[in-house]
Amino acid sequence: MNDVLNKTGEIVKKAKALGADEVIAKTTFGMYRQVRFSNNQVDTTVAWNDYVTDVALAWKKRVVVTQIHNFYEVDARIKKLLELAKVSKENPMFGGFAKGSFRYAKSKADERLRDLENPTDYVFEAINAAEKEVGSQIDSGGILFTKFEDVYLVSSEGPVGVDSRSAIELSIRVFSEREASGHSVECSSTLKDFKPAKAGMKAGEIARLAKNPKAGDEGVYDVVFDPLIFGSLLGVWASMTSAFNVMVQLSVFVNKLDQKVAPEIVVLKDNPSAYSLANRLFDDEGVPTRENVIIDHGVLKTYLHNTSTAKIFKTETTGNAGLVVPTPWNIEMNPGDMDKNEIFKELKMGLYLTNTWYTRFQNYTKGDFSTIPRDGIFLMEKGEIRQSWKDIRISDNALSLLTNIAGISKERQHVHWWGEADPPSLSPYVLIKNVHITKSK
Amino acid sequence: MEEDIVDYALEYAKSKGAEYAEARAQSQVQERLMLRSGILEAYVSAVDSGFCVRMIAEGGIGFASTNKWTREEAKEIVDLAFRYAKVANRKDKIRFAEEKSVETKWVVNQKEKIEDVSPEEKISKFVDIDKSLSSCGVKVAATMSSCTIDLTSNYYVNSESSRISSFVPKIGAFIFITVAEQGKTEQAYEQFGYSGGWEAFRQWNITEKMIHDAKVLKDVITKGKTVKPGIMDLICGSEVTGIAAHESCGHPMEADRILGREMSQAGRSFIFKGGPFWIGTRIGSDVVTIVDDPTIEHSYGYYAYDDEGVKARRRYLYKNGVINEFLHNRETAARLGTRSNASSRSINYDREAIVRMANTFVLHGEMTEEELIEDVKYGVYMKSFTEWNIDDKRFNQRYVGREAYMIENGELKHPIARPVIETTTQKFWTAVDAVSKKVEFDAATCGKGDPSQGVPVYTGGPCIRLKGVYVK
Repeated sequence: MNDVLNKTGEIVKKAKALGADEVIAKTTFGMYRQVRFSNNQVDTTVAWNDYVTDVALAWKKRVVVTQIHNFYEVDARIKKLLELAKVSKENPMFGGFAKGSFRYAKSKADERLRDLENPTDYVFEAINAAEKEVGSQIDSGGILFTKFEDVYLVSSEGPVGVDSRSAIELSIRVFSEREASGHSVECSSTLKDFKPAKAGMKAGEIARLAKNPKAGDEGVYDVVFDPLIFGSLLGVWASMTSAFNVMVQLSVFVNKLDQKVAPEIVVLKDNPSAYSLANRLFDDEGVPTRENVIIDHGVLKTYLHNTSTAKIFKTETTGNAGLVVPTPWNIEMNPGDMDKNEIFKELKMGLYLTNTWYTRFQNYTKGDFSTIPRDGIFLMEKGEIRQSWKDIRISDNALSLLTNIAGISKERQHVHWWGEADPPSLSPYVLIKNVHITKSK
Repeated sequence: MEEDIVDYALEYAKSKGAEYAEARAQSQVQERLMLRSGILEAYVSAVDSGFCVRMIAEGGIGFASTNKWTREEAKEIVDLAFRYAKVANRKDKIRFAEEKSVETKWVVNQKEKIEDVSPEEKISKFVDIDKSLSSCGVKVAATMSSCTIDLTSNYYVNSESSRISSFVPKIGAFIFITVAEQGKTEQAYEQFGYSGGWEAFRQWNITEKMIHDAKVLKDVITKGKTVKPGIMDLICGSEVTGIAAHESCGHPMEADRILGREMSQAGRSFIFKGGPFWIGTRIGSDVVTIVDDPTIEHSYGYYAYDDEGVKARRRYLYKNGVINEFLHNRETAARLGTRSNASSRSINYDREAIVRMANTFVLHGEMTEEELIEDVKYGVYMKSFTEWNIDDKRFNQRYVGREAYMIENGELKHPIARPVIETTTQKFWTAVDAVSKKVEFDAATCGKGDPSQGVPVYTGGPCIRLKGVYVK
């Protein structure tokens, strides 16, 4: 371990010796495993071994970045990188890399996730649980993904850190009929807390309830969002709080700091803590990660920053530095005061949506967008399912949805799915009023 | 790239007794420029290089990759792939459709070698675009732009004696602008892509296009009216035709999706065995022919051989309105009793090759754009789009116009703000009654796979006219 840290530090020393003003090197030894399955069978099992050192250096406010894949090519790469910096263009807004020495918490990564002996066992655990819900006509597909990363970071500005990051996630989609499906996920940073059967059972239950769907009707509905689909919305809002996205107007939160953007019950945080798939002790500048309250009782309190964007906004870094721009890690919505069942009872007549995909914007600053619910779509009456639906679209506004949140459950689920519910989140059941639904004509 | 290590990996894989084995190496010289409102945020310069093995054993597939170039590592990933292939324990054993072995080398030529262009010139191209936008008479509140350059060398060998080397330079650009006028904003982006050298920049006319977009957005804010929802004719410009061809023809015709392999991510298809749509079923009017063609020279989706060593060719997906030919790799072709049509692509050495599009477009017709418009009594001309999406069976789609105009009695009138067509694949392509002569292409990055593999493609086509569709 120390050997890798030393070699990472050598890169920083060499770059400084060649004339760089500031340097960060981050070495990641990653072992990633994946099982892909469909039609209830394993299609392929994949292993990636990845060894990389990301290097970012600044010379007279010119920022250049490279990747080094083995420690033998260091001299040549660093020399070339510095030459590139010298002909590059100044970024007057570059505020430097984070300075100081930090103490980090101890990693809680699960060593068992370095290389699972029989990853397919977890897949069949989920499929079997789903089959109990939908019977032998089950058709299921999905992925099991595991990650174990050893991370070594050295910055010329002080931070030196070692972290191990583990994660395991299962995503399963279950069909009970051609047009009736359910989707669920199980996400954890440790094997101990990973229960694939839970995901299989929930996906199977939704698929069973979704049988015989009819084409839905356009209109304005009160909607209960399942944690999985609400995780997609959390991902949208979270990415819009990156200060970089605010500056390039890829955000509905431009010029809205300290303004009311949601009702009192909404508290939204970024927090890559130990349970999360995105767990990490420090960001890419070596700043300790922390809990950041983004929306506090409805008021937008901060954007997510690295050192440079923080200086532009006259504040401090929030520990969200990616190698170049700030990024959200893991979004948490505070639990509400309602049981899940109370949320559904609150829905006199409306929809229960379980998943979505293909979210696209007309205009990020205005927030107008549409997204396509998939898997279980249910017309609800007095908390009970009245009908299974298909073929509808949410055509609404990102800020309106946030503003119209009317109920949040106590129960929350850690969700992440593909690029659609990303970054990971801790997501409750949420009731949103007056959601606009459209369909094909 | 150390080909001897790749050869060693294949030989070792063959010695394990697998039914099939391949090794694929890739070395990619990468440059990335990232700018915000004319400021260079970062210049990335890197080389990514590694190799993978894929094996079929006991009817299962195992895949493993590494970027550590040693024989020990090669042995380790072969052992992993072999072990993983066997644990699949499938009832339906996977096999590949037959293919001839190939030994060849192919390259994409550059008229102006990217390697000869200095970093300063690359930076100044993008800084200049921003300068031009800031003095074009429109208030451009923010821009974000990026440039991606990938010089990719590939080396592919398999247990059936194929051995293919290639070199493909690709260059891409992406510009996103926000126009603010009268206290309102509108946004647009353009993507550019090319297989070849720095000459791409002369062909793209980025500055002119972005200034045009800025002026269009200003007009939408200051002069745009909303359309009265109802049944009318709709003319789609090539950009809209292209995205519709990609989303509602290319994707549903991917055989892996049809067979369910992507069911939990990108989804399935409205085309499935025993369903209402299959090869030979009508899906559009007889003026609609949509092809996918990797062989268009210098296109963003160009390749001569796919990532399973199969020679590329044009695929007729919808032919005269009838479902004609799916996109196949060797695995899906075997399952549906046919041959691969070279649709297997991977974005990197560490990603499995899966069924992908290349350049998907509607073939030309006989009319001019003006003739299409002349025959419209009341309708909308949607030249380009902003928001779009489609459901995961690829049947319910929506396109929102960015540059759009009202048509009355055969003449273009005022700009229309964000007209929407939200309809089904069958209604969309069945409504097409006329197709113009001139085919144009747009670069795009097609998303699919888990982990996601964004592959470079063209979307495109001529202008098409849809009769009597609902626009709102």
